[in-house]
Amino acid sequence: MSGGETITLTELESDALTEIVNIGVSRAASNLRKMIGDQVLLSVPSIEVVSQRRAARLISEREINELVAVRQDFEGPFSGRALLIFPEENSLELVRAVTGGELSPQEVLDIEDEALAETGNVILNSCLATMANMLQRSLTMTIPEVLRGDGNKLFEILEGGEADGLVLFLYIDFAVRKRDIRGYIAMLMDLPSLQTLKELLGEFIERVVGNDG
Amino acid sequence: MPVTVLIVDDSKLARIVAGKALSQLQPDWERVEASSAAEAHEIVAARAVDVALIDFNMTEKDGLTFAAELRALHPDMPVAIITANVQDEVIARAREVGATFVPKPVTAEGLQGFTSGAALRLRSKK
Amino acid sequence: MMAEASLSTDQVSDRLRAVLAAAGASGTWDWDIVGDTLHFDERFADLYGLDVEAGTAGVPTETFFTAIHPEDRARMKIAVAGILGGAELFSKEFRVQAPDGSVLWMHGRGQGHSDGSDRPVRFTGLLVDVTERKRTEERLRIAQSAGGVGTFEYSDGFATASVSTEFCRLLGLHPARTLPVRTINGVVQEGGSLIPEAEQASDLLHGEFCIVRNDDGVQRWIARRGEIVRDSETSSYRFIGVIYDVTAAKEAEERLRELNETLEARVEEEIAERQQAEDSLRQAQKMEAVGHLTGGIAHDFNNLLTIIIGNIDTVIRRLDSSSDPRAKRSLDNALKGAERAAALTQRLLAFSRRQPLDPKQVDVGRLLAGMSDLLTRSITETIAIQVHSAADLWSIEVDPHQLENAILNLAVNARDAIGGSGELTINAENVAIAAGDGSPSFLHPGDYVRISVADTGEGMAPETVAKVFDPFFTTKEVGKGTGLGLSMVYGFAKQSGGHIRIESELGVGTTVSLYLPRAGSGLDELIEEPGIAVELGKCNETILVVEDDDDVRDYTVEILRELGYRVVEAHDGQTALRLFERADQPVQLLLTDVVMPVMSGSELAERARALQPSLKVLFTSGYTRDAIMRDGRLEPGLDLLSKPFTYTSLAAKVRDLLDRS
Repeated sequence: MSGGETITLTELESDALTEIVNIGVSRAASNLRKMIGDQVLLSVPSIEVVSQRRAARLISEREINELVAVRQDFEGPFSGRALLIFPEENSLELVRAVTGGELSPQEVLDIEDEALAETGNVILNSCLATMANMLQRSLTMTIPEVLRGDGNKLFEILEGGEADGLVLFLYIDFAVRKRDIRGYIAMLMDLPSLQTLKELLGEFIERVVGNDG
Repeated sequence: MPVTVLIVDDSKLARIVAGKALSQLQPDWERVEASSAAEAHEIVAARAVDVALIDFNMTEKDGLTFAAELRALHPDMPVAIITANVQDEVIARAREVGATFVPKPVTAEGLQGFTSGAALRLRSKK
Repeated sequence: MMAEASLSTDQVSDRLRAVLAAAGASGTWDWDIVGDTLHFDERFADLYGLDVEAGTAGVPTETFFTAIHPEDRARMKIAVAGILGGAELFSKEFRVQAPDGSVLWMHGRGQGHSDGSDRPVRFTGLLVDVTERKRTEERLRIAQSAGGVGTFEYSDGFATASVSTEFCRLLGLHPARTLPVRTINGVVQEGGSLIPEAEQASDLLHGEFCIVRNDDGVQRWIARRGEIVRDSETSSYRFIGVIYDVTAAKEAEERLRELNETLEARVEEEIAERQQAEDSLRQAQKMEAVGHLTGGIAHDFNNLLTIIIGNIDTVIRRLDSSSDPRAKRSLDNALKGAERAAALTQRLLAFSRRQPLDPKQVDVGRLLAGMSDLLTRSITETIAIQVHSAADLWSIEVDPHQLENAILNLAVNARDAIGGSGELTINAENVAIAAGDGSPSFLHPGDYVRISVADTGEGMAPETVAKVFDPFFTTKEVGKGTGLGLSMVYGFAKQSGGHIRIESELGVGTTVSLYLPRAGSGLDELIEEPGIAVELGKCNETILVVEDDDDVRDYTVEILRELGYRVVEAHDGQTALRLFERADQPVQLLLTDVVMPVMSGSELAERARALQPSLKVLFTSGYTRDAIMRDGRLEPGLDLLSKPFTYTSLAAKVRDLLDRS
């Protein structure tokens, strides 16, 4: 991070963010369940605010192989980029799960990217939209696209380039029974956006806690 | 003539999912698919469409804009906006256009309210 | 009888709670989100201190929070907000506080349930009392921290408290099973009552007290941690807790704080000192390097200029001045220019220390007095000049012309800095520099004469001061000064074995101080030959002493006479030769200074030897042998006695020479 600047969240702000993300992810998990029809178990997400470089490293540490990601940008009072990241071998599994026997294996292969994009769309959209609702603000989302690459590529770490955005890094294990599907959600935001987010969290806390703050 | 449902979504998967839910609720309704607003306009101009399920997040023209245009052409058509973007604002805008909001992924349960209402309206029209 | 009965009821309800807690029995709740009602079971009611019937009927959902400890309430509201918003999982630890202040730790584990449209409708969960576990953890932690842990138990209304042996020991009291509360509180000096007799707020739970131990009167710090256990039947309470000694920790805290405070200051000091030394070293090295460079260049230039000047001269001489006056003028100008260039290189050479100096004993006071009209001519009337020389100024050995140049240079700089009107003060005084007294680095301890030139001019910024001795660095406009002046002064100071220092403040003024070593102060090498028997002279041995400094000559003559020699003296070469020629008795040894005006020591020696080849010659000088050799004033192989010389060294050298065949 340039100049050592960072955003620190107070304990309550951190709690609030965890809950809001919890809500978003719960909604996303519920939707995933609807798509897959299988039991989807969700772990409590762990949230960290880290630099882009560290995020790239965190993912690279946990996943050796190539990654597949669905990327969607959001704009509003805070702006950024949301990523739904799967290890490559999982993505096809996910597509198979969501197309649920409707398509032949060949058809599954043919629409793999597109199916991923749509799945990612559902997950990220429901997550972000729910968060926006909780914060009582509106965000516009872009059309999702599918990316493949390693941590550096996904988090846009360029050689010797500026990488001073911060990443809200969530590791969620959503284990689908009988299938090994796990993924990560990451949200890249710059400092001003995170600052705005911090303010919105403050408002949320006020609404919820009232006089007990 | 059977009821014709137009499903507008740039994602094939989404169209499959919506179609699946639809066939569970109204197996006799016919389905027509379009992958963009432009394609949808062509279809509407060429044949009779009774119900429309429109994805919000599409390239070129988004679903709400298309829904408004469709509404202008067919003021009474039951229209549903389907999207994973469950923001309050989007829901409100859907209502403004006279469309029902159906969250993605589309399930029979989620779609039922809309389809029953649509069926009722179509029967009363006839 | 009554007391026993109430005690046992207490014990029973406590035991029951403990059993239930141990069994992990949990209370359950059911939060109807849509209906905004909270239902709970008997166990939950018990844990929360609520009414069971209310739990069955349903209470406002806000009740979930009312019993929660105020410090945990905000956190819990946020967690529940998550569930209400659609989150699925809930798992939190929090405190529940009874109206009397007693506190229990709870672990709530629950789920959110949503309808088909993803709307949250229910929030259910289990509540487990984890107080005991948390307390055990706490006690374990305390017990693990150094020292003994004393326990106590006090029942409201009683005058005594049940204590452990360790408790008594910590307070310096005789070991007993019960102690009067007053006795316990009596050892406390500050912090309040160790065991308060009246019920108070939750400050009871943790306190630190300064006590004086009852047995040895030693002051200690004691920490107390306790809890109130409420009796649900009566309104009485029990205060249970532990105490332990925290003196060491408190002292360490204090010491650490002190150390930290001074540490910073000490570190800063160290750094500043080192910084200064580094700066001086760097400056000296820089000057050294620059010196070498400029010296080399100047030397080459000199040679080239010699060629140029020589040739132009030749042409001028061969030119018929009448035939081409314009040509003659041009040549004259060329020559003038070349001569000016030569003068410039002279100054560069001086800076680079390649130019031989002509050091003499100088009375600074007299020198300054002699400069007064020179100074007044150079400085405008609008600037007030003051010259102060201390009364008993030590003499220094320097090249007086160079010293005058240096002082003039500094005065001119001061004049320029002042601009219009101001004050210029020249001070000369004796200073003794002792080792490590914070004086400027690179000034060896010893006696110096300090000549300072102070002005009330515009002053200089620190960045300028750092560069001011660099050759060609100038703050003056183009055409006004070459920027060599100060570098030349620096070179002169260094070459004379001294130092120069500048202090300046923007808008206030500048003071330049020249430190020049006192003559004969021993800053040159001293030849110490302790304990050698002094060989005396014979009255038939005559020594001719030639020295232009009266004081030194007197001193030398006195020593030699004391040693038994016959001494004849002269203050310059001419006089010496005359004496030599006229000598009624033959002179065996010529003792002469090397550096003298008109006739140098070497010349004198040559001419004297011409008259008397057997004459032995001993040269004296304030410079080391090497310095003189390098400066080209003395041939190797000749005898030299460095000044200042001691009685013994002079005696030995003279004897040595005379004894040589």
